[in-house]
Amino acid sequence: MPGHRTTGFCASAAALVLCAMLAGCGGSGESVGGGKVVLRYTWWGNPDRAERTEQAVALFEKQHPNVRVQTSFSAYEAYKQKLATQAAGGDAPDVMQLDYRQIDQYASGGVLLDLAEQKADLRTGEIDAGLLATGRLDGTQYAIPQGRGTETVVYDVKAWKASGVPLPAKDWTWSEWADAMRALAKKTGKPGATDPGQSEDCFEVWLRGQGKSLYTKDGGLGFTAADLARWWTFTDELRRAGVVSPAEQTTQLDGSVENTPLGRGEATADANWDAPSSGYLALIPSGVALAPMPSGEDGTPGQYFKPSMFLGVGANTGHPKEAAQLVDFLINDEQAAKILGATRGIPVNESIREAIEPQLKDFDRTIADYQASLEGSLKAPPQAPPSGDNALQATFQRDYDQVSYERMSPREAAENYVTEAKAELRS
Amino acid sequence: MTTTDIPAPAARKPGATTAPKRRPKRESQGPAWVFLSPWVLGAIVLTLLPMAVSLYLSFTDYDLFNPPRWVGLRNYVQMFTEDPRYWRSVLTTLTYVVIAVPLQLALALVVALALKSMKRGKGFYRSAFYAPSLLGASMSIALVWRAIFNDGGTVDNLLGTGGWVNKPGWALLAVALLTVWQFGAPMVIFLAGLQQIPGELYEAAAVDGAGKWRQFLSVTVPMLSPVLFFNLVLQTIQAFQVFTPAFALSAGKGGPADSTLVYTLYLYDRGFVASHMGYASAMAWVLLIVIGGVTAVLFRTSRSWVFYASEGDR
Repeated sequence: MPGHRTTGFCASAAALVLCAMLAGCGGSGESVGGGKVVLRYTWWGNPDRAERTEQAVALFEKQHPNVRVQTSFSAYEAYKQKLATQAAGGDAPDVMQLDYRQIDQYASGGVLLDLAEQKADLRTGEIDAGLLATGRLDGTQYAIPQGRGTETVVYDVKAWKASGVPLPAKDWTWSEWADAMRALAKKTGKPGATDPGQSEDCFEVWLRGQGKSLYTKDGGLGFTAADLARWWTFTDELRRAGVVSPAEQTTQLDGSVENTPLGRGEATADANWDAPSSGYLALIPSGVALAPMPSGEDGTPGQYFKPSMFLGVGANTGHPKEAAQLVDFLINDEQAAKILGATRGIPVNESIREAIEPQLKDFDRTIADYQASLEGSLKAPPQAPPSGDNALQATFQRDYDQVSYERMSPREAAENYVTEAKAELRS
Repeated sequence: MTTTDIPAPAARKPGATTAPKRRPKRESQGPAWVFLSPWVLGAIVLTLLPMAVSLYLSFTDYDLFNPPRWVGLRNYVQMFTEDPRYWRSVLTTLTYVVIAVPLQLALALVVALALKSMKRGKGFYRSAFYAPSLLGASMSIALVWRAIFNDGGTVDNLLGTGGWVNKPGWALLAVALLTVWQFGAPMVIFLAGLQQIPGELYEAAAVDGAGKWRQFLSVTVPMLSPVLFFNLVLQTIQAFQVFTPAFALSAGKGGPADSTLVYTLYLYDRGFVASHMGYASAMAWVLLIVIGGVTAVLFRTSRSWVFYASEGDR
């Protein structure tokens, strides 16, 4: 049995250890810095976006001297995982940037605040109603889109013109696109474009061009294995003929423009989102141009204006009012819009868009013109994808890998995908 | 150390390895526990508790956002009966283990033998060969590796084979080679083991007319077998858990065409990409049990080939 002396010794040492550990744990949670309200605001992006965001945030702090904003950002994949972990621990940031694919999961998981509660501080009147609705789930506004983007066929202008193949028409169809790619491949001796078979986004455009959709209203699968098999048969034939990039190229796609066949100088065109296409300029100094995505054979457009980045407020925030003010500032303040430019897409607030648009420069200008050319001709965006879609985007690529490496027929791979997708959407 | 103060070792029977009975002074263990407490608490809070939670989660459906829902054995049933990609990842991992572990150990042993017989510069070369093991766990080296084995990379230029990392039949080999290259740790252990072998044994063997090869087989291998066994167990356990090289070489996707989708990468994919934490936890427990089983089998077989010098005079 320990004696008196040791008991005391134990107790005090244990107390010391505990103190040290508790001190190590402190610092998180509700924080008040020098009597100020502290908001945490996180987003994903690149250093350019970070710099502009920091400037805007500094302006916000100037206008709201009682608020201090702690910012943090990272690349998308890392951001997504970090945010999910924080949210699971009940420690979601006060203001967070969200992707369209995350809305359903975060809203139904109770991570996001109902923004209608903060109507007084957060104005949404000047946002297009259809666009605003993309941040709604079951009638509740959980997030506000910050910008919008759309897909594009981006191409190397010089190489395309040199080949003598007619430039893409505004209303080209998928079969006209395929013909153009065949002609390009023949003239240039290398694939015309990235194999679109691996891209869930391209498939969606193709599907919508036929009046169908990726997901049904109640979050089920909106197409059949036969639909997917037709798409993959279409791309598989083009790939086998050398019209689109081979499997070894396609498998290297990682979301960066540098690793696309167009970026490597291995193709003349690519399908991508409009805002990130600015990255091609560094790789193809002679210039790139943006053409619309091909439409269905009867002219039905498949592409749509997708809300590119959302802002949501954490349901557990201690300062809903200030958080709503920050969101309002980022979306509706003209000064902020001037600083931010088109770094998150063309602004959604319509009067600000009008004020800002003439001042856009360089590639921001190209994007604005491209979007203006599509204005009014596109169909309404689909509602936010169901939460399972996050995983399915990768599954889609993997299953197509089996086709492009010729390990499965398009039919087999399509059936696999539909089985996996149904299981994913059920759970 | 206990034997030094025993006078007249009359009872020096073989096998009398137990320390002489000496009444241990029954002092309080309290202070010991206090000093141990940071580690004990750490082990409980940071290892045992999370393990217990993961065991619980493995019986639930948990997507990080909604509270875990009890589903009994469904995750395990799904894993074994409904998920072809799971079995593909198992097969990929086994292939990897069978390629990487023997290659790595063989290379480590060869280099250790070469170093042992070196007269000068031993310290330098030992450090030089160990360096990859220090660097290897880092992401940056894996990225360099990816560049070497990519289209237009060094290997493509030298051999004209195209980029290995983009060929389903070759990508796993590139992953294995990254592990094999990090042979430093087993090499250092082999080297230590080799230096423990008494020189007299070689002299005796030489006197009996044994050549170099015969000496290697009859002296080095048996004398080194405990070390060999230790390295084998350790590297096998590590190989089953391979993650970083496969992750980096396939840009996190386990591609091309799932050819580098090793077990832990698929586990990560289920847990963090697809948000099926319950399923991922179940996978982790199956992996733990399998590794335990494989280790047990290795220990069982070791009786027939591992030679402990201390037992020699039994």
